[in-house]
Amino acid sequence: HITEDSPKLLQHVKFHSSNFENILTWESGPDGTPDTVYSVEYKTYGEREWLAKMGCQRITRKSCNLTMETGNLTELYYARITAIDPGGRSATKMTDRFSSLQHTTIKPPDVTCVPRVRSIQMIIHPIPIPIHAGDGHQLTLEEIFHDLFYRLELRVNHTYQMHLGGKQREYEFFGLTPDTEYLGTIMILVPTWSKESSPYVCGVKTLSDRTWT
Amino acid sequence: DTAAFLPAPQNLSVHSTNMKHLLTWSPVILPGETVYYFVEYQGEYESLYMSHIWIPSSWCSPTEGPECDVTDDITATVPYNLRVSATLGSQSSAWSTLKHPFNRNSTILTPPRMEVTKDGFHLVIEVEDLGPQFEFLVAYWRREPGAKEHIKEVRSGGSPVLLETMQPGVTYCVRAQTRVKAIRRYSAFSQVECVEVQGESLPL
Amino acid sequence: EFRFGSCRVEGVVLPELWEAFQAMKHTVQAQDNVTSVRLLKQEVLQNVSDTESCYLIHALLKFYLNTVFKNYHKKIVEFKILKSFSTLANNFLAIMSKLQPSQENETFSISESAHRRFLLFRGAFKQLDIEAALTKAFGEVDILLTWMEKFYQL
Repeated sequence: HITEDSPKLLQHVKFHSSNFENILTWESGPDGTPDTVYSVEYKTYGEREWLAKMGCQRITRKSCNLTMETGNLTELYYARITAIDPGGRSATKMTDRFSSLQHTTIKPPDVTCVPRVRSIQMIIHPIPIPIHAGDGHQLTLEEIFHDLFYRLELRVNHTYQMHLGGKQREYEFFGLTPDTEYLGTIMILVPTWSKESSPYVCGVKTLSDRTWT
Repeated sequence: DTAAFLPAPQNLSVHSTNMKHLLTWSPVILPGETVYYFVEYQGEYESLYMSHIWIPSSWCSPTEGPECDVTDDITATVPYNLRVSATLGSQSSAWSTLKHPFNRNSTILTPPRMEVTKDGFHLVIEVEDLGPQFEFLVAYWRREPGAKEHIKEVRSGGSPVLLETMQPGVTYCVRAQTRVKAIRRYSAFSQVECVEVQGESLPL
Repeated sequence: EFRFGSCRVEGVVLPELWEAFQAMKHTVQAQDNVTSVRLLKQEVLQNVSDTESCYLIHALLKFYLNTVFKNYHKKIVEFKILKSFSTLANNFLAIMSKLQPSQENETFSISESAHRRFLLFRGAFKQLDIEAALTKAFGEVDILLTWMEKFYQL
């Protein structure tokens, strides 16, 4: 027999979202014990039914991947967790209303920095995300955020840096000195959503100039 | 009792430059006393739909000086009413209200201060940092007949940006203007600054 | 700027609206216990043509300014979120005052379609008790902003 009388079994129920991978996490409350089991349900905001998340029923770990279940960008969602301790006491807690468009953070881009004699090329690779379009193809961040752009900086020395930026994926910093260390940082920005990834950093040295040897 | 009648502050006016809005008024002077002031604002919505609602200013409720930076309170491009009341102890004066509502699209935009330097063959510019609402359009060209003007968008000031790798013996000129999206306006262009780099030509 | 079909609106920075709403979102949405009802449903906002969008946003903003914001204001004062509310309301007013949906005959059917969408929204609003409806509508401003973002260019 389960009694709903112990709210301290469970706390901090929330979504963490990064590049649209949506993970539900929670913590054991002050009354929680290692044997407490947790069951996860989720629902679409505006719908009546709560749906049980297969694979996250009566688990002891404190996270559950709800990426597939919360993948429609035009919907908002709730999740709730019921904790039951060995003594039969239980607690149920719900998340805030969740929208992956609003909440997701952007991971650093995946970049290849290619040194040459007097330039450095930077190639940004597309990052597939776990969201599929109507026709089934896997979306990229650029397809979701129409004002997404890349900002690239090359620190030339301690005083200034070179700036490049735009929507394309290939860039090249010219006019560099051969056989010299440079520090490149590349970020993803989505201005209308005030989203900014942390930077991908590459330290790279231009090649030596062998033309006169 | 000097405080029996506390006069309301007079001569309210707003001085706005580069999206910094400063409300000023004539101080209420009572010898030997420190007078404080409360500033409140209402946007067009409040004045149209709930005119009794006034919102305390972020930084001047209360304040001691006869001025108040209301930049953080003016957060939409609509007319705002502003009012000030003087207080001394438990006494408060009547409210004095700005004669004409203030709209941030009337701010004065000045050409940006900039520093054009060269580092080796690199043409470098640093534009003053005017805050997050400002972007800069930087125009640069080679001072020679028929030279083409290049435009570079600089999203924020306060850090040096490389514009071009220069050819020796050629003079490069630069000018810049500010752009404020929130009010869709531009400043005038700055003075032109030119630099030239001496020395041997770069091996291609 | 916003481009709702032929309606253009300048002088509003969408991230500033988001920032204002995010400051109120948790407080307001936590008051909405009716998780099984959504006012701005898919049928209201999905597949809206550019031409139709100006009529729809005008009707929605007018409703929010005249009904939702006006009648929810006591709660705003109670929750001490007056500044953020003022930013949102005044920017909505700035947008609405610049919208001029065309009144020509050939766009009558389009405006009718937009009006049906709006009536769907208002109908759902009226089915709830007024306090619950005001709380829910205010809590759904993020759904409205998400839809408006499609018509926005920095």
